Amino acid sequence: MKRRRIVILAALMACLPALVCAQSTLEKIDKSGVLIIGTRTGSPPFAYVNKNNEWVGFSIDLVEQAVSPVLNKKLNKQIKIEKKESTPATRIPLLTSNAVDLIAETMTDTQSRREQVDFSLTFFVTGAQFLVRKGSPIKGVQSIAGRRIAAQQGSTNAKIIRERVPTAKLVEFPDQPAAFQALAQKQVEAYTNDGIQLAGLRAKAPKPDDWAVVGEFYSYDPYGMAMRKNDSDFRHVVNVGLMDAISTGLYFKLYDKWFGSKGEVPYPLIPEGKRFLELQVVPK
Amino acid sequence: MSYRFDWSVLWSGPSGSWLLQGLVTTLQISGAGLALAIVLGIASGALRTATASPLRWLASAYVEFFRNVPLLVWMFFWYFGVPPLLPQTIQDWLLDRGVESWAGIFALGVYHGARFSEVMRAGIQSIPKTQLEAALSTGLSRVQAYRWIILPIALRLIVPPATNETVNLLKNSSVALTIGVAELTFQTRQIETYTAKAFEALIAGTLIYLLLCLVVSLFFGYIERRVAIPGLFVQRRLEEA
Repeated sequence: MKRRRIVILAALMACLPALVCAQSTLEKIDKSGVLIIGTRTGSPPFAYVNKNNEWVGFSIDLVEQAVSPVLNKKLNKQIKIEKKESTPATRIPLLTSNAVDLIAETMTDTQSRREQVDFSLTFFVTGAQFLVRKGSPIKGVQSIAGRRIAAQQGSTNAKIIRERVPTAKLVEFPDQPAAFQALAQKQVEAYTNDGIQLAGLRAKAPKPDDWAVVGEFYSYDPYGMAMRKNDSDFRHVVNVGLMDAISTGLYFKLYDKWFGSKGEVPYPLIPEGKRFLELQVVPK
Repeated sequence: MSYRFDWSVLWSGPSGSWLLQGLVTTLQISGAGLALAIVLGIASGALRTATASPLRWLASAYVEFFRNVPLLVWMFFWYFGVPPLLPQTIQDWLLDRGVESWAGIFALGVYHGARFSEVMRAGIQSIPKTQLEAALSTGLSRVQAYRWIILPIALRLIVPPATNETVNLLKNSSVALTIGVAELTFQTRQIETYTAKAFEALIAGTLIYLLLCLVVSLFFGYIERRVAIPGLFVQRRLEEA
């Protein structure tokens, strides 16, 4: 009896260090066998639910086909990928509360965000524009003063408009579908978001020709995958995954699948963009 | 986890005025919504006890239709569903004057009016029938009896559940953030997103809601004591007659 009690106590004490020490993300994934990613459900073609009810997208493909093989090799086992929905307002809390391990959607890499989370390499470059009804007098950020503009709560675009054009009447919605609905019903005159997301929304609209994406990029939005701070091992794995995809050409194949001429949202890769991506790949 | 508290984001810098703006907006839409709910509630609650069955049916239809659907759905209905049906001039007028807030006010007012109506009906039906019979036998018409005898007593009876409904309305005003109303909860999320100070923002929001609701219940408690008819009901302390 007494010996059994000692054995149980010893076993409990052996577990204590594991409970007390903060786990790194790789350890967490290794233990659970699952990589949980936060991604969007209404942002075509990065992450959305298509008409066959499948949760697909460019960001999701990058995780499943580029990051996953490197992760599997590092941990020496097949890691399952689980997807959870995230939005601009919820993605950082989801990450810091350990509910997800990686945010793979349309998150802009900014200096102030880097104070809360770490970012991977940039995997897409775009800027903010406006989605308007064809024929609208709005031509860009210079013509929105005093007008009703929809934006997403918690996005960088809303913040910039608030600072640059304080007279614009911003109406902030929790998600993209609600904002687009308001635009479709003429309750707002324009919807601002990153240009590529607007192109995706337009492509998926019932009558794409009714809409136009206008304006010069009024902000620079490099997309990166976000993860918890001080987790350089996991960040290295994600970066190596992206770098390998760029150097082997897998990235460009995926880019063509979603943004090529036959893709969901045609958006050709400009030469500077391609060069920028290639230069991010540091030698082995 | 090393989290640095920085309470100054609540009152200084760009985020300083957001909390106050959110509070003002919450009070505005809750106040207007409450006014609408009280008017609809009293009218509908009284009608549900009417003798004429078309009136009863109308009030019952209103109550069952509006209280059995979640408030969130009603917010979308009043914001996305109603304006397109209005004439264009009214639509344009609304767009200049905060259509989001008006949709929120109507959603809150009509929904809580239905709930308030049931509270009112319970109050009216708990008054003994003898009171109504006595009133009618002195020559008052039915409407006059309701206006001078039944409703004054019923309104005093329902102060506790009415306090409940008022506090519920105040808290439910936060649902308006889904249609873009920049009320208190919206602003706490904004502060959280822009300054990353989640704890400060959420604690501030919680304390403000708590304070608002406490003030409301204390106020109603004062009203209850002030308008109580001595000797009519069982009070907190059973005193010797």
